[in-house]
This record gives sequence, structure tokens and C-alpha cells, in this order.
Amino acid sequence: MQKMIDIPRQVWGDEELMQPGMTSCQGCAAPLSMKIALKALGQRTVVVFPACCFAVFVGGYPYSSLKVPIIHCPFETAAVVASGAAAALDVRGEKDVVVMVWAGDGGTFDIGMQALSGAAERNENILFVCYDNEAYMNTGIQRSSATPLGAWTTTTPAGSLKEESKKDIEQIMLAHHISYMATASAAYPDDLFRKFQKARQITGMKFIHLLSACPPGWRIDPANTIQVMRMATQSHVFPIYEVRKWRFSKDNERFEEDWEYTINVVPEKKVTVKTYLKSQGRFGLMTDEMIEDTQKRVDRKWHELVQKQDRCVSPE
Amino acid sequence: MKKAIKGNHAVSHGVRLSKVGVISAYPITPQTTIVEELSEMCASGDLEARFIKVESEHSAMAALIGAATTGVRTFTATSGNGLLLMHEVLHWTAGARLPIVMANVNRAVSGVWNIWAEQTDSLAQRDTGWIQIYCESSQELLDGVIMAYKLAEKVMLPVMIAYDAFFLSHTTEIVDIPDEDLVDGFIPPYVPPVSLNFDDPRMFGGFFATDYFYEHRYTLQQASQEVLQYYPEVCREFKRIFGREYGLVETYRTEAAEVILVTAGAITSVSRIAIDKFRDKGEKVGLMKLRMFRPVPVVYWREVLGKARKVVVIDRNLSVGLGGVFASEIRSALYASAHRPLIFSVVAGLGGRDVTPEDVEGILSHVIAQDKPSDAPLFWGLKQ
Amino acid sequence: MTVKKRSEMAIKHEFKSYRDITPMHVSLGNMLYNKTGSWRFIKPIYEDKIPACQNTCPAGNDIEGWIKLLNNKEFEKAYWHLKREEPFPAILGRVCFKFCEDACNRAVLDDCIRIQELERFLGDHIAPATPHPELPGENGKHLAVVGSGPSGMSVAYFARLLGFRVTIFDKDALLGGMLRLGIPGYRLPRQVVAAEFEGLSRMGIELRPETEIGKDVSLETLTTTYDYVFLATGAHRSLPMKLTENISCCQIMSALTLLKQVARGDNVAIGKRVVVIGGGNTAIDAARTAIRMGCHTTVIYRRSVTEMPAHPEEVRQAQEEGVFFRFLAAPEDIALHPDATIEKLVCCEMELGPADEKSGRCRPIRKEGMTFDIPADTILIAIGEKPDFDYLSRHVPSTDAFVATGGDLSISSGPCQGAKVFAGGDMIDIPHTVVHAVASGKRAAIAMDCDRRGVLFADVLNQIRIGSGTALSFSRYMNWAPVNPVHRNDQKVVDSTKIVYDYFIKSPGCHKAIQPAGLRKNSFAPYHTTLSGEEAIHESERCLHCGRCTECDNCMIFCPDVSILDQTRETFGYAIDYDYCKGCGICFTECPRHAITMVSEG
Repeated sequence: MQKMIDIPRQVWGDEELMQPGMTSCQGCAAPLSMKIALKALGQRTVVVFPACCFAVFVGGYPYSSLKVPIIHCPFETAAVVASGAAAALDVRGEKDVVVMVWAGDGGTFDIGMQALSGAAERNENILFVCYDNEAYMNTGIQRSSATPLGAWTTTTPAGSLKEESKKDIEQIMLAHHISYMATASAAYPDDLFRKFQKARQITGMKFIHLLSACPPGWRIDPANTIQVMRMATQSHVFPIYEVRKWRFSKDNERFEEDWEYTINVVPEKKVTVKTYLKSQGRFGLMTDEMIEDTQKRVDRKWHELVQKQDRCVSPE
Repeated sequence: MKKAIKGNHAVSHGVRLSKVGVISAYPITPQTTIVEELSEMCASGDLEARFIKVESEHSAMAALIGAATTGVRTFTATSGNGLLLMHEVLHWTAGARLPIVMANVNRAVSGVWNIWAEQTDSLAQRDTGWIQIYCESSQELLDGVIMAYKLAEKVMLPVMIAYDAFFLSHTTEIVDIPDEDLVDGFIPPYVPPVSLNFDDPRMFGGFFATDYFYEHRYTLQQASQEVLQYYPEVCREFKRIFGREYGLVETYRTEAAEVILVTAGAITSVSRIAIDKFRDKGEKVGLMKLRMFRPVPVVYWREVLGKARKVVVIDRNLSVGLGGVFASEIRSALYASAHRPLIFSVVAGLGGRDVTPEDVEGILSHVIAQDKPSDAPLFWGLKQ
Repeated sequence: MTVKKRSEMAIKHEFKSYRDITPMHVSLGNMLYNKTGSWRFIKPIYEDKIPACQNTCPAGNDIEGWIKLLNNKEFEKAYWHLKREEPFPAILGRVCFKFCEDACNRAVLDDCIRIQELERFLGDHIAPATPHPELPGENGKHLAVVGSGPSGMSVAYFARLLGFRVTIFDKDALLGGMLRLGIPGYRLPRQVVAAEFEGLSRMGIELRPETEIGKDVSLETLTTTYDYVFLATGAHRSLPMKLTENISCCQIMSALTLLKQVARGDNVAIGKRVVVIGGGNTAIDAARTAIRMGCHTTVIYRRSVTEMPAHPEEVRQAQEEGVFFRFLAAPEDIALHPDATIEKLVCCEMELGPADEKSGRCRPIRKEGMTFDIPADTILIAIGEKPDFDYLSRHVPSTDAFVATGGDLSISSGPCQGAKVFAGGDMIDIPHTVVHAVASGKRAAIAMDCDRRGVLFADVLNQIRIGSGTALSFSRYMNWAPVNPVHRNDQKVVDSTKIVYDYFIKSPGCHKAIQPAGLRKNSFAPYHTTLSGEEAIHESERCLHCGRCTECDNCMIFCPDVSILDQTRETFGYAIDYDYCKGCGICFTECPRHAITMVSEG
């Protein structure tokens, strides 16, 4: 029988690192992403949560729905708290442990940006995961710098829709010369699984940008969460790719640094940006001009990505 | 081993001897030489610690949340605006019961810039739950850091060692640096009450609803009272091993004193000279050195100060709209005393304005001459 | 992990005092106490449904089921599973009109599944004479089947599986009805038909060829000797043309006559130039036979190619073999030579007029003055066949073209007292295809068994109906377990709008090329080849399994609340932990094949 999603079945064994009972909304993609991520990372994982939806629904004291150690931290500080934890684990002599930040777009793009930039510049040995639902959902759907152009939020209501396009966190992270940067989505769970497995093996700063649909915030039926996320990739609005930093020596003398881009999902079916936008209520007030503008940007970014992929050749 | 070192370096040695595991810090004058020397110690291997060179003080304290929760001894240092930037995280670390030790070089805070001595920075953190101890000498700093770890790791509350910018941080004094073995015997390796491990994974912290949070706050208050029980034990133990004695407060010539001067930090050293001079003249004056500020050692303050007729508090700080913080807290502590002395509040030395023995003499004279204090504090040395 | 094991892990703490606050505020347990299942107002259930192929098949062939078994290399199991609903895969694997393939949801992605190729593979792989694994004892009733065509074969097969004693009568020596005598051997080899009868015989069914009811045995005898009678004498009376009423010529014959002569192996003499009048499958079969006899053959039909009743693939193959087609042409007159041989067929061009109210088909209208000639030596008439009612008592109600039957295919006013009489196949008002005939046999067998048990067929019908058509599930009637041990709703049909094509990779269908036309047209040898086992498995891999769980894990992978638990190792499929399932519906949407249903809760 044709196997749809290539994740080995023994991964779904008895030992669940994530248990139900969470107070996440119906159809939330965040716990789904965490479920798959933990399957890939395993038990020796420390999760650092800043303020975000997940930090609340993972469990109110004294209950936790994850069977890995969790450190809660102040909103802005996730990247540096993780750095401290990683340093301490090192001091304790713990090997083969991964410290993972699981932050929303607020704790990454905006209030968390300083600590993230600092940790990235120091190439701290942590895995920073941003599950991006494209607004401050936990506090009630207010706009963030991750909110796409034209979206409705409670602070960009009708008549004042978001005018700025989404901050390019991927390029920002790459500008810090970190070891690994990737995008992933729970709509492509085998790719997500593989990326977390890979990230675990890499030393240095890893950043994974997850798209995470939010039914109440995006104004979609919870049953369509995965479908909408899939369309995001099929329309190239959220391309799934990874960038690995290589340091290699040329003639045994100088060290060169280069970035290898790999586009992991090349959608067979092409979906227009308009179709993707129309699938969600939050984009319902967008003008045709805004939609066209978005289509152009998306096409350009995809084109650039393809060029970058073709240009970089791994040194091996 | 005795060495002539600056105050900041005394702190570094204290940290080194305490075998701290993770340090994170952001430079700010006049704290910088602490972290510089710690960097050198880490580089040379004298101190086997990981030093995270964070990008701000807020992150400096936050990094230690991660490290302390993971069960390693931690340290940071800051000053002035840096301390203020950490404010949110100070509440967090105390609330999270993390035994972090921090050296804060008391520096004036901005609106306009000033890098010299003033205690307003640490006093603005008095509600956070951090234990605060004010130090007067380099020896006291080194000893203070070591004792701070013993205290912090017992009561699981963080400790701030505060001292004057430049007057202490950059002044060279003779310091007796104890042997490593002695310190190892005094503070064993840190073992957290709950270990972060993978066989029994737990969530540290999290969302406390209305049915738990009030009790949690109460536990902080309970812990702070434990400090008052436990710290004298720490001091006794320290004296036994190292021969030097400290306490929640220190008194100087307060026997039968009618006027007691209260100071904290570097002004204390200067004040001793003035006290001696007045005693020689036959004036019954004494000095209470305010060491532990948080938690408030109410009983001790009452016991020392309750016997005097007049108490004069010199505040090298200003809570705008209120006056001197120490004076205010002492008034508050003595209110329920059987005998309440007259409390004279003096604000002096803000922004590194020098307070000399002559200044202190002047203050004493002034107080002795007054019948009663005015409502407003006396701003000593103000250019009128 | 099981639902039970998980419920044992739930913890709830008593919090009485500030002293209960844990050191460093560590957690004490999990969130399992919070049964988020209480949030739901709709919930998912695993519910297998009917795929489009099975829904369209008149016999309700459980195609997905046997494809699944075939794909798992269980060829024998697949064969017998197929035979639960459709008994003659080697036959239908050659001559069926493949309604299933036309409906196949895979066509939206690339090509339909080559169901007929797969069926033919199974039919050729296992001999029909292999002992039937589900043969019961006898129920004491005896059924007489009049006619050994596909409907008679079918009723005999199913009745035998219901425990009836069965005897098949046929007036001809050659058994099989149209299968043997009407459909040419290059399409349906006689050995294939013979093998099926061997199979029926091995099942204990009595065969009585060369026994004509109404002559050798009267219908009255049958109805008094047997408990049940099934009439399956088909439609063998070719409709005559008015045109030929007053012409006597041995080279003007019905197409069926030619086909039967060839089938019997008689010496057949036809001329070099053959014209076939008509647009049905008989016309095409006759034309292709003529080609193989070396004749120049033309088919004329009064409407256009799109209105032709013949199967388009047959027409295409005929054209490849060299048959000429003249559309929108109707015969007007036959001109004879003085020696009564045919000179030519005079025809007139037609055009399509407005649609007829009753049939919906466009009426052909003569184009005045547009006549033309087709020189011919032999004219074959194939404008339709109707049943022969002569042997039936006058009491059996019939129209001009059909025997009237009830919903259970019984004939209400029987010819005599005693037996219950049923009818099926080309005798009754159903489309004249082999698979429809087979379906009618199945229906009648079930109806007979209901009668035997004293149960109302109409009630049973509601429980065994498949999809939106007339097909019935014999397995359901027999309470045989489906391939998936999962609750199945036979009324819900999965069409292409319900398939999530994103989960399937394009791959073209494989099909055995039939022999090229150049070789085909010179021989009466069968032109079908059969897939190899490897090719069959490869093709079966493409099946989407619409509406049927394949344990692909999608639901389990995508559940955000870890509420779908793997049971594939212990039993089959998954268990939904309803204590925590929030009813979000993601599993429903992401099931590639619509095997989950969302049901409302209270």
C-alpha cells in the first residue's frame, strides 16, 4: 500500500512524551508540532517556554502534559534562559542533551528578539523553535511583526489592516551566521520529524521556524488546520527549506563559510496565493491590490530561494 | 593569604572560591572589573566556569534562571541602570526560589547620567524578594559572597551583595583570601532540592491559578523569615572557620548611647571616625551598621535602636516623594517598639558626593542640637 | 498505549495548605485528569464506506476488498473474496463494460485503476473448479434454472451458496447462452466459459444441456417438481426490419445468427462485402467477426457515434481492425441481382432531430434526396433482440419486450400452483449487459432465500443495499466479515470530492496491451493477455482504497491531542480515546480516503 507519510511506525510506541488533557484549542497545530518534534528528539530534551499559548495550555501548576523537563521563563528571555541551561548541563557533564526553546512569534520576532539575537550571535548550543501563528494569539489575536500584510487582528481591525509585510525572521537568523536554519510545518510531518532529528545532531545555534495555524486567530474551521498549512507551502507563501552552514578549508589554509540551501518540499500542485488567502477569514478584507502585491513578493522570494539552492554546492 | 586588591576583585575571588559553575554578565561601569577578572580566571582555569557574555543585564539574570534551575551554582554582577533593567527578572528569580548570588555596585540611576555611588538602585529592588546585604569593606565583600551561597542554598532565595561604586569597588584594601579547602568545607557543592533530570521529568514553574498563587506568595514570606533564623548560624559557622564575625547588624560603641547613627555601606567606615571623635569628647554616641536590609531584621533593629533617645539615619539614596529609604524602614520597624526614639533622616552623598568624617561630625552635631526631627529629610551638603 | 492504561495514569492532587507548594515549584503529575473530551459536540468514528467503483458496479463487486488482498499477495483469498459478490472474474475480466473504471476516483489524479485487468488476472490465476471454501450443506429446497446464460449461472451460484439444490436447463448443447453463442471467441474464449461450468458443476450444480423447457420438459412439470424456478432464457429473437419483410435472400440474416453459427463451428458462407445495420454490441461483434472472415465490412448506424449503444472501446477496436463506419445513415432499400444475390444497400443520410420526450434520444430525420448506395454481398441486421415468450404460459405477464417482475424479480401471477417463479437477465427490464445479468441472478437468489425463510425481501433489501444504485451485498446477507474489521456504512458513497489527492503520488496505470489490430483481425484467437503477478501487485498498489481504512497512520500522526492510539499490532486500525478527543475534525479532513465520519453528539 502506498505509505503516505514516511515516519517509521515504531516511533509511535507506548512511550508518549506528550500526553493529552491540554487546554489547547481544538485543531491547534502547536501541540501537533510538539508531538512530532518530541518523537524525533527523545527523552533527553529540556524545553524552555516563554509566555505563549503553549506555556499556558501545557498545564497549570502542578500538572504538566510533557514528559520532559520544562523550564518556564520570562517572556523576552527564552533564548538566553536556554543558553544558561545549556551551559549548566555542560558543567554537569550531561552529554547528548538538547535544550529547546519553544516560543511563539511574539517571543521570537518582537519581545524576544534581543535575547534571540544575542544567543544567535554567540552561536549558543541550543535549538530555538518558533511556532509562528502570526499574531499574539495568547493575549487575544493582536498583531505582531510576524502578521502578514493585509491580515485582520484585533489591533489591525477593518479599516486599519496590517500594512507592513511579515518580518523575514529566516534571513535575520541567517545574518547571525548560525549553524542551522530551517522552516517546517506539521502539514509535512515526516519532513518536520527528520529536521528535528537532524538538528539534534548539530552543535551550535539551530533555528527552526514552524508555521502553526490557529483556528480562532486565522478564522478557519479547526478541521482544516492541516489543509490550510499545506496550502501555505503549496502556494509558496511558506516554503519549506533548510540552510546548513559549512565551514571548510580551501587549500588547508583559509577557512571559508558558505550556506547550503535545500528546498525540501517542491509542491507538485501549485496553488495561487489568492486561494490560500481566501481560505482564511482573517484575510477576508484584503483588496485585490494587496493580494497581487503578496503574490509578487511570494514569487520573488521563491525565485530567490531556488537561485540560492542552485548556487550553493556542498563542499563534500 | 593577604593581598592588596580592589573591592571588585575581592568579589571575583569570592566567586572563584565558591566554585561557581555558570556566570553571565553584561559590563557596566563600575562593575566591569569584576567580570574582567572573572573572565581571566575562567581563561586560566583558576575557575572552571562557563561564562556567558550576554547582550544585556536583563539577559544576564535570565541566563541564570536556566542555569540555576538546571542545578548549578550561579553568579552575576551589575550596577545602577543594569540592575534596574533586570527588575522583572529579579522578581522572577526570587519567586522561582533560585539560589543566585549577585554583586551590585550601588550606582546612581539615570534620568541624567551619573556613574558614582548611590544606593537607590538596589533599594528600588526591595520588593522583589531578594535578600540584600550592604557591605563596607573588601574583606566583607569576599566573605559576604561566600556566606551568601551558604545562605541562598539553604533558604532557596537569591542574595544581593550591595556596595558603593568607586568608594569600595575601585579602592584597594588588604584582603585575607582564604584557602580553597576552608571554603570547600564551609560551602559544599550545590545540590538542588529538585534535580532537573530525564528519568523523572518535571516542569519548573508555570501557570499558578488563583487557587495556588496566594499560598506561593506566602511561602516567599515564610522563606524570608527563615533567613533571619538561619543567617546568624551562617555567621557563627563562618567565624568558627575563618575567624571573622558578621551579623544581621553590627554595632559600634552603642553601649549606653543616647544618639545612634545608622549607616550602610562605605559611609559606615567614615562614620566610625566621627563616632570615636565624639566619644572622646564625652558624647554618648554609637553606630549601627545596617547590613541585612531584606528581610528586615525588625527585632534586631528594635533591640539596638530602642535604647537610644535619638536615631539618625544617613541615606545615600532617595525615594522621590518619600525621602531616605532606610529612615523610612527604620521608622516603620520601630513604630511598634515599646520605646520609640526620635528618628532623624539625613540624605547625603547622592551621585558619589563624598561624605567625609567632617560631614558625619556635622550631622551628629546637628542632631544633638535638635529637639526633634523635621518631617522632611535633611539634605546634607546640598548646594543651596 | 490503550485507553484503559491511560485512564489509570490520571492524577489529581489535593491542595490544602501553603505547605503543599512543591520545592522549586515543580509539577507533580500529568494533565490526564482534564478530560477534554467533554469539549466535543461532534466526534470522529471509523466508518468504512462504499467507493465509487463498487457503487457503480451493478453487482456491487467489493473491488477495494479484493484489491487489498491482491496487493498483499493473497491471491487466493482475493479470488474468493471477489467471488462473494461477482462469481465469474475470468468472464467479466474480459467482457464487462467496466462501469467501475469510469467511476474510479483515481482518474482525477492520473489514470483509473485497471480493475478489469486485475479481475482478469485473478480469474485466470485460480481455476474456477478449485473447491469452494464457503460451500454449505443443503437447505432442502430445489431450484430449476431455465437457461445457462450469465443470469442463470449467477442465480445457480448464489443459490448453491445459500444451500439450494440447483439444476440448470438449456436447450442448446453448448452451455453459456450469449456468453458462448453471442460473444465471439476472440473476446471470450470458449475454454473460459467451459471452465466456469466445470466450477459450477464441482459445486454440486446439476447441468442439463439439450433440454428444452416447453418441449422436452413442460414449464408446468418444472413448477410442480421444483420449489423455485428461475427463467433466464435471455433475448435471442432478433428484431426484424420492415425493409426485409418481402425480400427472400439467404444472405440477409440477423447478426446473431451469424455469430451463433461461428460459435457452433458450423460452416458459414457469407459474401465478401458485408454491411451490418445497427449500433449495438451485437452489430460490432458481427462486424469484427466478418473482418476476421476476410470480408470488407461496413457498419451503418442511423445516429452519430456518440449515440451508439455499443461500448466505445469495442467501436474503437473495430475501427482499428478495419471496419468502416457510416454514421447518420439508414437503410432504405435492398437491391437484388436477378439471381437473388444482393447487389447493394440503398441508404439515406440522416440528421439528428429534437430529442424524443420518452427516451431522451434524438430522433433521426431523413435528409430528403440524400441517398447513396453501398455495394454488398451480405447484410447483417442487428437492430435489437427480444426474449422468446412462447414457452411461457399466457399467465406470465409480459410486455412486448420484457417479463414483468417485482422488486425481488419474482413473477407475481405464476403459470401454475406450486413453485415460486423468478426471472432475470435479458428477459427483464434491465440494461442488457453481462454484469447486470449477473446482478439479477444474485438478487433473485437472495429473494428466494428470503421467501424460504419467511422473511420479507423488502426489509432485507434495506439492510443489504449498496450505495445509490440497485446493487446488493451478498456478504452482508450472509453476515460474512468484510476485509477490514471495521464498522461499514453501505449507504455512504465516496466520490472524488472526498479524496485528498495531495497524499498520492502520480503513477500511470499499467495495462496489458491487447494484440495490435494487424494481428487481431486475422485470427479468432483470444486477443487479451493477462497481467503477471508482479504487474498485478504493482497496479493494485495504485488503488486509493476510497472509504476504506488502510492503516496509513495519517489520523494518528495528525491528532493534536494524542487521542488516536495505534492498535495495528493487536487488532486492526486505531482506537480513539474519547476521554480526550476534542472533536476538532483534523483526522476526518486528513484521512486521504474518507474512512472517518464525524457524528453529532447529543
